[in-house]
Amino acid sequence: MDTLLLARLQFATTTSIHFLFVIVTLGLVTLLVGLQTAWVITGKQKYERLTRFWGQLYVINYVLGIATGIVMEFQFGLNWSGLSRYVGNVFGAPLAIETLVAFFLESTFLGMWIFGWHRLRRGVHLALLWGVALTAYASAFWILVANSWLQNPVGYEVRDGVAHLTDFPALLGNPTLTMAFGHVVSAALLVGGMLMAAVSAGHLIRRTPDHALHRTALRIGLVTAALSITLVQGFGFAQFGPVGAVQPTKFGGGDEAQAMIGEWTARFGPGDYTPPALASAGLGFMITIGLTLGALWLLVPLLWRDWIIRLRFPLWLLLLALPLPFVATILGWIAREVGRQPWVAYGLLPVDQAVSPVGAPVMLTSLIGFSLLLGTLAVTNWVLIARHAARGAQDPALGRPPGQSIHLRTEPAFT
Amino acid sequence: MELIWYVLLGLFFGTYLVLGGYDYGVGLSLARNADPGRRRAALNAVGPFFLGNEVWLVAAVGILFGAFPVLEGELLSGFYPAVLGALAGVILVTAGVQLRSRPAHERVRARWDRVVVVGSALAALGWGALLAGLLQGVPRDTDGHVVGLTHLVTPFAATAGLAMVALVAAHGATFLTLRLPADDAARTGRLARRLLPVALAAIGVATVVGLLSERVRATAQQPLAGVLLPVLLVAALVVARAALTRGRAGVAFTATAVALALPVALVGATLWPYVLVSTTDPGASLTVADAAASAPTLRLLGWLAMPLLPALLGFQLMCWWVFRGRTDGRAPVYW
Repeated sequence: MDTLLLARLQFATTTSIHFLFVIVTLGLVTLLVGLQTAWVITGKQKYERLTRFWGQLYVINYVLGIATGIVMEFQFGLNWSGLSRYVGNVFGAPLAIETLVAFFLESTFLGMWIFGWHRLRRGVHLALLWGVALTAYASAFWILVANSWLQNPVGYEVRDGVAHLTDFPALLGNPTLTMAFGHVVSAALLVGGMLMAAVSAGHLIRRTPDHALHRTALRIGLVTAALSITLVQGFGFAQFGPVGAVQPTKFGGGDEAQAMIGEWTARFGPGDYTPPALASAGLGFMITIGLTLGALWLLVPLLWRDWIIRLRFPLWLLLLALPLPFVATILGWIAREVGRQPWVAYGLLPVDQAVSPVGAPVMLTSLIGFSLLLGTLAVTNWVLIARHAARGAQDPALGRPPGQSIHLRTEPAFT
Repeated sequence: MELIWYVLLGLFFGTYLVLGGYDYGVGLSLARNADPGRRRAALNAVGPFFLGNEVWLVAAVGILFGAFPVLEGELLSGFYPAVLGALAGVILVTAGVQLRSRPAHERVRARWDRVVVVGSALAALGWGALLAGLLQGVPRDTDGHVVGLTHLVTPFAATAGLAMVALVAAHGATFLTLRLPADDAARTGRLARRLLPVALAAIGVATVVGLLSERVRATAQQPLAGVLLPVLLVAALVVARAALTRGRAGVAFTATAVALALPVALVGATLWPYVLVSTTDPGASLTVADAAASAPTLRLLGWLAMPLLPALLGFQLMCWWVFRGRTDGRAPVYW
C-alpha cells in the first residue's frame, strides 16, 4: 500500500464521518433556534420541552462533529504537508478565518448555552443559541470557500512554485461556491427536518406519552424537510452549469474534458487525468435519492386533520426513509471530492505532490488508529442519540432544574 | 507583521495549554477518585468552560495554517508520533467528558471516565514531547522536509512529556481547589500540595536532561532565555505551593497557569529567530519570517481576524464571569 492511497483513505474516512455529524448539527440548530424563539415569545411549555428534548440530541451529536473536525484540521498538516507548502498562502486563509471567526465563538456560545439554563436570563440564553446557529452557518460558509478553492483555484498567482494570494474577493465569488453553499445548507435542513420527523414518527407509532409534543415536532420536521428538498434539488441542478464550466473532467468526457486533459498533459506530463468512475456513480445515486425524496411533498397534505398519524403507514415511511438523506449526503461529497482527482487543487497541485513524506507504515497506523477511534465513537454516539430519542421528552438532562442541594455523595440525583 | 502573528500563535497555544491543561488535570484526577459523585462534581466544575477551552487549540492550529502554512506542514508531519498521540488524547477527552453522563449506569460512566484519564495523559504527553522536540531541533534537509521519526525518541522528549503530565495534574488539582464547594476543595487542596513537588521534580529532571543534551544546547539560539524561563517556571510552582499552604487558591491557580504558559514562551524565545532548527544542516533551519505566509495573506488575516479578537476574548470573559465562583447546589450539572 502506498502512502498516498492510505492518506486519501484516511481523509475520506474522517471527512465522511465528520460530514454525517455536522450536517445534523447545522440542520438541527436551525430548528432549535425556531423552537426556543417560539418558547421565549409565546411562553408555552410545549416549546420549552421540545427545545430541551431536541437540544439534548443536538448536543450529543455535536460531540462527534468537534472530535472529527479537530482531526480534519490536523490532518492537513499531518498527511498533506505539500498542501500547506505550495498553496497554504491561499488555502490556509479561509480555514484560519473559519476557526477564529466561527468555530471559536460557536463552541464558546454552546458551552454557555448548555450550562446557562436557569442561570441566565431567557433573552440572553436565546441570544446564545442564535449565536451558535449564526457561527455554525459562518463556519460552513468558510469551509466551503476553502473547499471551492480546491475545486477551482482562483485569485492567486504562482511565484517560485508557491501560490500567493492576489484577489481574495475572487475566492468569495468562486462559481463552485455559491450554489454549493445553498445545496449544502438546504441538505442540512433536509437532514434536520427528516430526523425530527422520523423520531417523532417513531414515538407516534409506539403511542408513547406526549402525543401532542411529538405531533408538533412531526409537523415542523415534515414541513421543513419538504421545503428543503425542493431547495436541495434546485441548488443541486443549478451547480451543473458552473461546475461543468470550470471542472470539465469532473463528470465524464466531452470535448472540453479532452481539451483540458490535453492541456494538462502538455504542462504536467502524461498521466491519468480522468477521475475514477466512483464520482459519476456517486452523483447518479445521489440524484436518484434526491428525486425520490421529492415524494415528501405527497405527505404534506396528510397533515390535514392528522391523517398522517391516523393512517400510520406514512409514519413508517418517514421512519424508514431516515437513512436516505444521510446516504445522499455522503454520495454528494464523493461526487464533489472524487471528481476532483487526481488533483488536490484542480489543475494546480496533484495529490501525489501534496502528500506528506511519511512512511507507509506510519500512515497505515494513523489510518487504522483514527478509523477505529472515530468509527467506534461514531457508532457509540449514534446509539446514544437513538436511546435518548427513544426515551422521549420526559426530563432530559439538558436544562434540568438544579436540585435543591446537590450533595456530592448522593449519586441517584444525577441520572 | 510576522512577529505579531507569531506572538498571537504563541498566545493561543499557550492559553490552550493553560485552559486545556486544567481540563486534562481534572481528567487525570478522575483516576484517583473512587466516588462516582465526586468524579461527576469534578467534571462539572470544568463544566461550562470545557467547550470554550479546547477551541483555543483549534484556533491556534487555524493561525498556524493561515499565517504559517510552511511551518504547519513541517511541524505536524515532522512530529507525527507526538501529534498523533496528543490528537488521540484530545479526541478521547472531548468525547469522554461530554458523553460520560449520557448513559445512566454507573459502570458505563466509570468506563468513560477511564477513557478521559487515558486521553488526558496522552494529550499532555504529546504536547510535552512536541515542545521538547522543537527545543532539540529536527533533522530538516535542504529540500525543506523533516526526515524520519526517530529524532523524537530521546530522553529529553520523554522526560518533558512526563513533566507536562505532572504539570497538568497539579494544575487541575489546583483548579478544583479553587472551584469546588469549600468542604470538597480541602481534599483537592491536599492533592494539589502533594502533586506540586512531583511536578517540580519532573520539571527539574527534564531541565537537567535538556541541558545535558548536546542537541538541545546546539539548537538553543538564545541560551539566556533557555535558562531563565525554566527558573521562572520553577519559581511559579514554588509560589503555587506556598499559596496553597496559606489557603490562597486563587493565587495558586494563577501561578500554575503561568507555569503552563511558560513552556510555550520558552520554546518561542529560545529558538528565536528560528522556529525549526535543523540538526543536520544549519542552512535548512526555518526562520519565523520564512515560515510565515506571504504579505497579502497576512494583511487579509489582519483585516478580517484582528478586529474580531476583542470579541473572541470578550465572549470568553463573559463565560468566565457568568460562571465564576465555586460550584454549589444551584450550578447546572450536565457532563
